[in-house]
Amino acid sequence: MKTPVSVLRLPRGPDPNSRGFDPNSPRFLALCPTTLSSSSSSGAVDEEEQRLRSDLRERFLRTLLLMTDKQVEFNMHEKVRVRARFGASDIDVLNFQVSGLETPLGVQKEALLRCQDVISCSFEL
Amino acid sequence: MNAIMYPVSMAMRQTPLTCSGHTRPVVDLAFSGITPYGYFLISACKDGKPMLRQGDTGDWIGTFLGHKGAVWGATLNKEATKAATAAADFTAKVWDAVTGDEVLTLAHKHIVKSVNFTQDSNFLLTGGNDKVLRIYDLIKPEADPQEIAGHTSAIKKALWCNNDQQILSAADDKTIRLWDKNTQEAVHTLSFDASVTSMEYIPDGEILVITYGRTIAFYNAHSLDLIKTVDAPASIHSASLHPEKDFFVAGGDDFKLYKYDYTTKEEMESYKGHFGPIHTVRFSPDGELYASGSEDGTLRLWQTAVGKTYGLWKCVLPEELSSENSEVLYCPPAEIKA
Repeated sequence: MKTPVSVLRLPRGPDPNSRGFDPNSPRFLALCPTTLSSSSSSGAVDEEEQRLRSDLRERFLRTLLLMTDKQVEFNMHEKVRVRARFGASDIDVLNFQVSGLETPLGVQKEALLRCQDVISCSFEL
Repeated sequence: MNAIMYPVSMAMRQTPLTCSGHTRPVVDLAFSGITPYGYFLISACKDGKPMLRQGDTGDWIGTFLGHKGAVWGATLNKEATKAATAAADFTAKVWDAVTGDEVLTLAHKHIVKSVNFTQDSNFLLTGGNDKVLRIYDLIKPEADPQEIAGHTSAIKKALWCNNDQQILSAADDKTIRLWDKNTQEAVHTLSFDASVTSMEYIPDGEILVITYGRTIAFYNAHSLDLIKTVDAPASIHSASLHPEKDFFVAGGDDFKLYKYDYTTKEEMESYKGHFGPIHTVRFSPDGELYASGSEDGTLRLWQTAVGKTYGLWKCVLPEELSSENSEVLYCPPAEIKA
């Protein structure tokens, strides 16, 4: 009877909450240039762009907060339009947690919507 | 210091390492070259989410998100700084393999099946169900690609060869064609009775490894002269030749992986482990392991020299297994699931 080869551990699987590519890994730190150069003249343009990006991001995150517990209509690929009560988004905006999802097959009490399938969503403030 | 040699590979049973994470069949995989950070592995999956893993351990690094359909082909450049994927959403995508960001989307007119970088990573070759080979200049991606037509059925695989001066393509029209990149003409054509299921090009030695039916065939990549063929016990979907050309591995319909001696053509070993047909198998660039992708949705890593200390595998001398001084080691049961 042969002895099976021992292993130190099993290969690590995907993180369910993120798409990975750890920005603190040695490879990432070595190969990715640091953002924003302040010394060159284009530095000012970069800073302005970064400020605008930050503003847009903040507005997006505040919109998600405002959507919480509201009835939202989701406009999705393949001409799908569904309504549901928005619960929360995961950290990478990969999935939206919703309740009372109205579908042609009935109302789904709890569901996850895949964000890559969502084109737009609208709700009353 | 004492050095005691044990014939470990004779005494030990292969422990494959299972990489889970995909939720549908794994249809293609590719290794990068050896980089200062080790080597890497990309897997193409019908769930549309290709993954990057550390090549020697199988540890997940990241998932490339963006495709809206099954991913049929995936590749890395030599340095593992870029990735390319071919998908059923009629696009090929180029990715930054360090950040995971999508860099380029190349629209096609039908399902894309195959992608391949040149050695300098400046050009991407694509092929798919619209039967046309396309060459994209990645420095000028807005420019129209160079197109090479000729195949009469869907292209399964297209590879650069002969110092990126020629192209090898395999299609459902049961031919493999060798094209000159500049004249865009077919220099040689091989015809088969059955559909070619896989193709691998080994630049060092200019060998082409082809599978069809139960056969694994080896050709000279310049002349397309046949070197040898080997028949397996079951239908084979993919095969890979070891960098030192002493072994090759093959897998297919019966879920098993076969290991053959390339010189004598003898079957050396067969390994069970997958729960579905094997779609793809490749040796790592250092030849120390080979990876297989299956209909069961997993990737498995297998040692070339069973029992050797490498990656996550640890060579344990017989005394150490029962000794109180041994480090905490995971002694697997008959089947490991990650």
